[in-house]
Amino acid sequence: MWLTSKIKQILMVLKPGVVTLKYPFEPRPVAKDFRGQPAWDHHKCVGCGGCAAHCPARTILVRDICQELRIMIYDGARCAYCGRCADVCPEDAIVMTEQFELATGDRDDITVTMELFMLTCQRCGRCYNMETTNMIDKMELKGFRYDHLEMRAVIPKATERFDAKVLEATERYERPRT
Amino acid sequence: MNAVEVARKLKEEFGAAVRATDSPSPDRLFIDVERAVLRPVSNRIAALGGRYIVSIGYDEIARNGTLGLVHTFAFDADHWAAAVRTSAPASDPLFDSITPDIPNAGWSEREYMDLLGMKFVGHPKPKRLILADDWPEGVHPLRKEVPYNLVPPAAEDVAYRLDEAPEGTAVIPIGPFHSSLHEPEHFAVYVDGETIKGCDYRGFMTHRGIEKLCQTQVSYNEVPFVAERICGICGSVHATTYAQAVEAAAGIRISRRAEYIRTVILEIERLHSHLLWLGVAGHLIGFDTVFMQAWRVRERIMWLSERITGNRKTYGMVVIGGVRRDITPEIAKEIEEVLAGVEKETLVLKKSIIGDTSIHRRTKGVGVISKEESVRWSLVGPVARARGIDIDVRRDHPYAAYDDMTFDVPVVTSEDVWGTLVVRVLEIFEAIKILRQALRNMPSDGPLLAEVGEALPPLRHAFSLVEAPRGEAAHYVITGEENRPERWRVRAPSYPNLQAVPLMLLGDQFADFPIILGSIDPCFSCTDRVAVIDARTGRRRVLGRQELENISRRGKG
Ligand code: SF4
Ligand code: SF4
Repeated sequence: MWLTSKIKQILMVLKPGVVTLKYPFEPRPVAKDFRGQPAWDHHKCVGCGGCAAHCPARTILVRDICQELRIMIYDGARCAYCGRCADVCPEDAIVMTEQFELATGDRDDITVTMELFMLTCQRCGRCYNMETTNMIDKMELKGFRYDHLEMRAVIPKATERFDAKVLEATERYERPRT
Repeated sequence: MNAVEVARKLKEEFGAAVRATDSPSPDRLFIDVERAVLRPVSNRIAALGGRYIVSIGYDEIARNGTLGLVHTFAFDADHWAAAVRTSAPASDPLFDSITPDIPNAGWSEREYMDLLGMKFVGHPKPKRLILADDWPEGVHPLRKEVPYNLVPPAAEDVAYRLDEAPEGTAVIPIGPFHSSLHEPEHFAVYVDGETIKGCDYRGFMTHRGIEKLCQTQVSYNEVPFVAERICGICGSVHATTYAQAVEAAAGIRISRRAEYIRTVILEIERLHSHLLWLGVAGHLIGFDTVFMQAWRVRERIMWLSERITGNRKTYGMVVIGGVRRDITPEIAKEIEEVLAGVEKETLVLKKSIIGDTSIHRRTKGVGVISKEESVRWSLVGPVARARGIDIDVRRDHPYAAYDDMTFDVPVVTSEDVWGTLVVRVLEIFEAIKILRQALRNMPSDGPLLAEVGEALPPLRHAFSLVEAPRGEAAHYVITGEENRPERWRVRAPSYPNLQAVPLMLLGDQFADFPIILGSIDPCFSCTDRVAVIDARTGRRRVLGRQELENISRRGKG
């Protein structure tokens, strides 16, 4: 009984043989349209914050560090690689790359920071009022979170993992009200 | 008996205590009742053939000072489901417990004792279930006044008090890291010699407050991605169940093509899940050839998923209003090819399992629970179908494109672990059958995403059911005003099934513990340790996973 069962098992494994891949010694290409680490193209990005508003992992931070400089930080440590950011970006500034070997001991390796220069109004000298009049802000739904500039109060709690220095510099900054 | 008849009957029998009935669609009936008749009405519905699904508690204090409670029931043969709603003032949150009559409500009610501060009169075991043992009394995290990120200070010297061991038995605690689950869970098994005489359970150690998070932080269309991460194996099931519930509440109709794509994704998920289970079950009883081969076959499905969705798991396909990616003719062809290979290889696997005497010895007559008990405990999925209960959400409450599919629901009557194995193997072939039909009949046009209006109507109730690989998943959604659900209740299939595990274990050998637990298909873990304490001497020995597996593998053979 035992023996026949063993013989049967041997026959069963003989046919497929060895299927183990040589990875990581040989590269393993991913499938087409794989969802790996998202990558930003700062030439295309208009700084609308749509990706930050729709990221389920809330791992994209949008901050106006001064009147004309908007900072966007993507912290890959919390990214779920869902591709939602790439979906919602109106400028197609985000692509999901094929990069999946992202294990690292240094968080900075998978953190991306972009500085975006925002336009200043030629009449009043201020930034465009992004919160209410920007076309893309109409995409913004209620329920916009910490990255909503009106909701500063909750920022420290939700973003404590971001670089302390960046946070500090932005916290003292008061945005002019229109 | 259909929804209209039940509504009429209840109104006749309970008069004005049944305040209102509402049937937003022919397959749903919401019954609002006075708090005093909650228990008799629930019992009446159960007596009329309603299978208890889950209870939902919610906080309405800000709106009208009450806490709401809903019990849901499915009428499988008649293809509809009922929800009995009631409420109590927050100052006096007393409800009659339905657990004495419907044992499976036990966990739901304990959950709301913890999370909402409800009290249930007559509950047989009003112990803490969800909250950590050192969580402060009187803080109920699902109440709206409690912030989602509250972290109360940890306390020392508080521990869960296990149930009293029956006379003459020794206690074997298994956990807190479980021998065959991914999640840390703590069983205390009461044994007399090698025979299991009882069992107490302490789980929910990885309770992450996902419901609270999604009710307060993210918006409607981000929840599917969070929902998908509830389970590493049947993720799209949860995303689909949630999306369907919201769509039902908001009256969104998705295109037929999107429904077909959802069907394809769900069945691919079932294929991978069943093959995974088969492998692990083989491993647990020491049949590693099955483990290796089942996982080898499964790997092709994982690659296929990567091709279709962009990832091996957490497919990210389902959003409210439809799906995100298309299944093009080329991909459909690839699926067909993989299916042909998987079918052939699973047949080989099936032959070797069905005829293997050592598998028979380790699984037949093990983990027995009778059909009557299984009905009483509202078991679901392959666990129920192995006990002769003919239920399957795909057929009984069709969703996505399942109303177009013809397939069999395998039911066996062996009432043991062997039965669950047979059911799952047969379901693999049914899944392949469904996939082929879906690919063949898929309409070639129709938008992937339906037009979803600006704001979804608030305060609508809806719930949806989906047949996950392990059984029925149920989500209940109350739509909210902030572009996110006001209440979202998730019930995974293991929730009812785990509650009946003590019953399945009764009278079995300790060596069969892993496979009995495994037979309900929770997730398996590699980090398990087992502490064996001899009750008489107090001597303590900690078993590693290897040792536990060795005991398990020696088994009866
Ligand atoms: S891939 Fe998903 S989780 Fe990652 S940054 Fe984009 S939206 Fe956020
Ligand atoms: S959604 Fe696109 S354009 Fe808008 S901030 Fe993100 S990357 Fe830039």
